[in-house]
Amino acid sequence: MNQNKRVIHILVVMSVLFLSIIGYLSYFELFMKEDIITNNFNKRQTEYARETLRGSIYDRDGEILAASEGEIQNQKRVYPFENLYSQVIGYNSVIYGNSLLESVYNQELIGKNALSSILDIKDQLSGDDKKGNNLLLTIDHDLQKKASELLGDRKGAVVAIDPKTGEILAMVSKPDYDPNSSNLEENWSKLVESQDSPFLPRAIQGIYVPGSTYKIVTSVAAYENGLVKEGYDDQGSVVIDGKFISNFGEKAYGKIDFSKALAVSSNAVFAQTGVDLGFENLKEVALQFGFNKKLPFDLSVKKSSFPYTSMKKTDMAAVGIGQGSLQVTPLHMAMITASLANDGTMMEPYLVKGISTSKGKVIYSKKPSVFLTVTDKSTADQVTGMMIKVVEEGTGTRARISGINVAGKTGTAENELTSSQGDKEHAWFVGFAPAEDPQIAIAVILEYSGSTGGKTAAPIAKEIMEAYLK
Amino acid sequence: MRAMDSIFSNYRPVRMILLFNLLAFTLLFLFEERYDQKILLSGLIVMALIYLSFTIIKWRTWGDEYLFLIVSMLASIGIMMIFRLEVQLGIKQIQWFMGGIVLFFISYIVYQKIRFWDRLTIFYLILSLTLFIITLAFGKKISGATNWVNIGGITLQPSEMIKVIFIFFIASFFKNRGSIKIPNLQIKGKKIKIKDTTVMTLIAYTHMGFLVIQREWGGALLFFLVYFTLLYIFESDLRLLLINAGIAIVGGLLGAKYVYHIQVRISTWLDPWRDISGKGYQITQSLFAIGSGGFFGTGIGLGSPQYIPEAQTDFIFSAICEELGIFGGAAVVLLYFILVYRGMKIAMKVDDTFHKAVALGITIMFGFQTFIIIGGVIKLIPLTGITLPFISYGGSSLTTSFVALGILQAISKNNFEEEEGEI
Repeated sequence: MNQNKRVIHILVVMSVLFLSIIGYLSYFELFMKEDIITNNFNKRQTEYARETLRGSIYDRDGEILAASEGEIQNQKRVYPFENLYSQVIGYNSVIYGNSLLESVYNQELIGKNALSSILDIKDQLSGDDKKGNNLLLTIDHDLQKKASELLGDRKGAVVAIDPKTGEILAMVSKPDYDPNSSNLEENWSKLVESQDSPFLPRAIQGIYVPGSTYKIVTSVAAYENGLVKEGYDDQGSVVIDGKFISNFGEKAYGKIDFSKALAVSSNAVFAQTGVDLGFENLKEVALQFGFNKKLPFDLSVKKSSFPYTSMKKTDMAAVGIGQGSLQVTPLHMAMITASLANDGTMMEPYLVKGISTSKGKVIYSKKPSVFLTVTDKSTADQVTGMMIKVVEEGTGTRARISGINVAGKTGTAENELTSSQGDKEHAWFVGFAPAEDPQIAIAVILEYSGSTGGKTAAPIAKEIMEAYLK
Repeated sequence: MRAMDSIFSNYRPVRMILLFNLLAFTLLFLFEERYDQKILLSGLIVMALIYLSFTIIKWRTWGDEYLFLIVSMLASIGIMMIFRLEVQLGIKQIQWFMGGIVLFFISYIVYQKIRFWDRLTIFYLILSLTLFIITLAFGKKISGATNWVNIGGITLQPSEMIKVIFIFFIASFFKNRGSIKIPNLQIKGKKIKIKDTTVMTLIAYTHMGFLVIQREWGGALLFFLVYFTLLYIFESDLRLLLINAGIAIVGGLLGAKYVYHIQVRISTWLDPWRDISGKGYQITQSLFAIGSGGFFGTGIGLGSPQYIPEAQTDFIFSAICEELGIFGGAAVVLLYFILVYRGMKIAMKVDDTFHKAVALGITIMFGFQTFIIIGGVIKLIPLTGITLPFISYGGSSLTTSFVALGILQAISKNNFEEEEGEI
């Protein structure tokens, strides 16, 4: 009965095939489906959203930043502070879908997660209304308001972080828009087509040349590689491979030390330091600080880029002073500053510190975690000392707060528009305070402002830090 | 007493199926407050049909009792899902189901009465080739495949029938090995002897070739698997097996490399998310449905299977998973598994090569067809459109499956008689 033996072989093959179906289904259910069913093309999501009252979003002190009102079937998303959180929370509209936190945390806000079907049964039995979960943000509403007022109508961004935890205290991008549905529906096409890109959250997706603020990174590299010299002779400019690089206003500072060079933001000294460091060291320090890396965050952040695969001396000089092809997001610049404030440890930034049920039970709370170790404590302290000098006697004096030591760095970044139109530099300021025990780190950028960072960006940073520390 | 007990316990499974139908149709009646009496009537018809047929099978001792029970459970699940998706289609499916059961009895009786099935080798060949040519000449294109023929207002899918004819052809070939005379070929005065297996191989690939021309990839794959499995069981020449495996591998690789339609299927299988609104739409919607169901499903009527394209035919398994959960889906898979097991058991008890091959052919056809389509809709293997036997909506598929089942039932009766004779 050789044939029957072979029939049994086939039966075994069939068993394997059928069991593989069951095995794959179970695997799919356990490990793959969470990612899959949250896809925007799954129309069941909007259907489910119509069955629950969407959860609210609160700031760190319990201020309501977004809430849904009305009957479940006919609910309306209300943003009481209108424009203020449009670049953080985004919008949630029946017609246009959702964006930013409203999109990323959609599942939580409509109360759908792995356990929901079990919880649903309980709710249905007890006759409770279906309500989504609430988001608790790290944002400080007063600080957010202050930052927004200080930016005013100017285009740009402000990011304030708690350097020890990575909590985002304020995150403002301008221009912004009113996410309330009445405004969205009326002005949608105008907003979408606007050249000012009001839907672009500049703090996380705008990429800018860092300019002189990047000199703090160059300084770290110089210390780490033992390239800091006793003294420098600043002639006001330096020629590298035939390329003329000058200080702001071509001012010559003469015999200065490294710390003074940062305080006055000497391009001559830092361009030369860039060349001394060379490609490998410049690249290493950039990667150490998180360039070319995806930043872990609640919202999607554009990668900051260090795009070189090889460098000419002129490139090294440009990168040394934060020019060339370097690009950063304001959030990343704030993180870089915060990492120096936090003894060389860069924390993961985060916006959502907890999720609670409609009854107030906290079902998730975020714990601070380390993202990168960018340098050691002593190097961080040395650069911090230099940054204090910037604010005390250098280009950043307008960020001085009486009674509190502030560490900072200004930047006036040339960009693609400066050569053709002139007076289009980005004005930057990054800093933290108090310098001995930092509570807040900040990055401020005014895009294409045409003024210096010290003149326009530093006062904004000062006011925000002062407001937070008092 | 013991006889009473055994009758009672033997009737138990059919009562479970009736209970299932009772619940399902009551639910469908109440669903969305339709209160449509047609639904209740349909339910009664389905229950009466199942009970009556089962009683006949038992009373006349028509062989294996479980085949029909398994299949009526599968058909009940299918009818319930189709009803839930669209009442009109459900009513049509019940009509097909009635027709299917009539054909089941007819094919049982005809298969039993006629004793010369194994002598019609050439006839099977001519019949299936004719059907293929008719399909090509008059075929309509429905969702990419040219496999429908319209005869007097009724659309038929000849390839469904050819499946059974093909199995008969292979079976009669193996039965008549040695007695088939193939004339020698004369080339330049030299006589070349042609092996009978060469001829069969050519004929088998001709069948697949026609399916490929019609772009019925799933069908071509199914034919190959059935043919190759039967070859494995009945052919002792290892070389022939290896050659066939080689042809399949080379053919598959060439297809994957040069045939656009196969490339598309493979690339959407590997990454359906890239073109989610286009080529990947069907499979991703299917995955959304399966994922949304969870382990226990949303419950009948509470999911959203209306978002799944072709939910009542090729993708019905995804709809089942959404509303009955992965457990419901696994139960369906296990039902097919028992069906395949019973079929193989029947085949192993038959000594006659023809009947053995037919029983096996039908069984593995059910098995592979199930694997191809379920594996496809859950993204375990590339998706090829093919129906889920006994569950999917569609007359050609359901009736052909019942014809095949009737034949399997007839074969099972044969060997039961022999067993009784031995006692």
